[in-house]
Amino acid sequence: MPEEKGPKPLLSGVIYGECVYWIALIGMLIGIIGMVLYFFGGKHFFDAETVISGLLSGKSATVIWQEAAGRESLHGHWYLHQLSYSDAIAMLGIGICCLSAVVGVWGAFLGMVIKKERPYFYWIFALILGILLILAAMGKISLHH
Amino acid sequence: MGKHRRLFRWKWIVFLFILILVITASIATVQAAPGEAMGMSPLTFFIVFLLATTVMGIFAVLAGVGGGVVFTPIMMGFTPIDSYIIRTTGIFIAMAGALVAARPFLRRGIANVRLLFYGAVPYAVCACIGALLAGYIKATMGIKGEAFVRGALGVIVLGIASLFIFFGKRVEYPDVKEVDSFTERLALAMGYWEESLGKVINYKLARAHIGGILFCGVGLISGLFGLGAGWAMVPVFNLVMLAPLKVAATCSKVMIGIGDTAAVWPYIMGGGMFPLFGVPCMIGLIVGTLIGARIMLMIKAGFIRWLIIIVMIGAGVRLLMKAIQMWP
Repeated sequence: MPEEKGPKPLLSGVIYGECVYWIALIGMLIGIIGMVLYFFGGKHFFDAETVISGLLSGKSATVIWQEAAGRESLHGHWYLHQLSYSDAIAMLGIGICCLSAVVGVWGAFLGMVIKKERPYFYWIFALILGILLILAAMGKISLHH
Repeated sequence: MGKHRRLFRWKWIVFLFILILVITASIATVQAAPGEAMGMSPLTFFIVFLLATTVMGIFAVLAGVGGGVVFTPIMMGFTPIDSYIIRTTGIFIAMAGALVAARPFLRRGIANVRLLFYGAVPYAVCACIGALLAGYIKATMGIKGEAFVRGALGVIVLGIASLFIFFGKRVEYPDVKEVDSFTERLALAMGYWEESLGKVINYKLARAHIGGILFCGVGLISGLFGLGAGWAMVPVFNLVMLAPLKVAATCSKVMIGIGDTAAVWPYIMGGGMFPLFGVPCMIGLIVGTLIGARIMLMIKAGFIRWLIIIVMIGAGVRLLMKAIQMWP
């Protein structure tokens, strides 16, 4: 096993790698399931034809939202409240995929603490990243706040 | 002889495929009239973008670049889709590809975790600022902002292409003669098992302070333009901080996953993600990357590298032309 040769990898890195890999894969799978439901007649949050015509005629995201969903762009995790729609499920998959690094960085931070990995200032780097990513995922780092 | 003929035929097939793709994209751009779906059903739309991004993924890997850096300029240069939506999708797929690829590099200890966390802080912060700036430009500058983004990206893409042509040199195992005190304090020196040599490579790093500053710039560009940033990160790790090439390449891949996650959320919160566009592009680019990695073992990819350079120059020129046309 190549993993067993040479220096042992740091636990923080291994935790990060495992977390992001599996969570991203689950997210992608949910995204694909959402799209499969979409094509097999599941309920749509966005009108598909309007989205396509909007995209291919260069309309902005705001206009496409208004025309295809019949409302202003829903900032934040809009799909969590619309999970009966197939495209919202696909969007949930995208969201989970984007969340994987957030979980991964916090997992790495925990790994550093558990193994008391030195130098200790890397704990601070991981903490800064963890806070930044969680704020971004919560929508706090956004022009709408 | 037979092998050479097969290779020659293969090159022409590839070349024709790219040519058809570029021409189709250009025609589609010209023909797309406002309010017209070009007779595309959702399934056709899905398949077209799935195939197009699969091809992009294959060629990107063969050319030695990430899919994210090819996706955004080509889509912005050759399709009429709004740049904010393309950048949202571009940064998402760059991130998704990097997340899936990270696991083996970290399990084998090739990617240096300390280097990652050190570099990811300035990169992620500036990528976030870039993403917020993108939202601000979209909200306040209208068509002028769109023209500015396309023009600036055109210049950057031409810069990347020239980087590939003139400064493509990489050093497999850079010689670190002196480690400065700042880098020494960061304790970035590590080792990894090099399978091809059958031994442990212990390496040191240098100039971490310069690397940190450069990561700010790379993060800003990545966040603002929705680009993957491996093209800039690998030289920073390898030529500035003197990391071995393998460490540089793996660290760059893993760091894109962390930094672009920070940048993708402001884009998603801004309403720039549409699953009908995002999902096929994500699947296509990842599948393309996997196929490309397998093809890479069988062929010499020098020709593909030049093809990608030509396509990127074409995309850069088109972006500049679009910017000039759009400028009010």
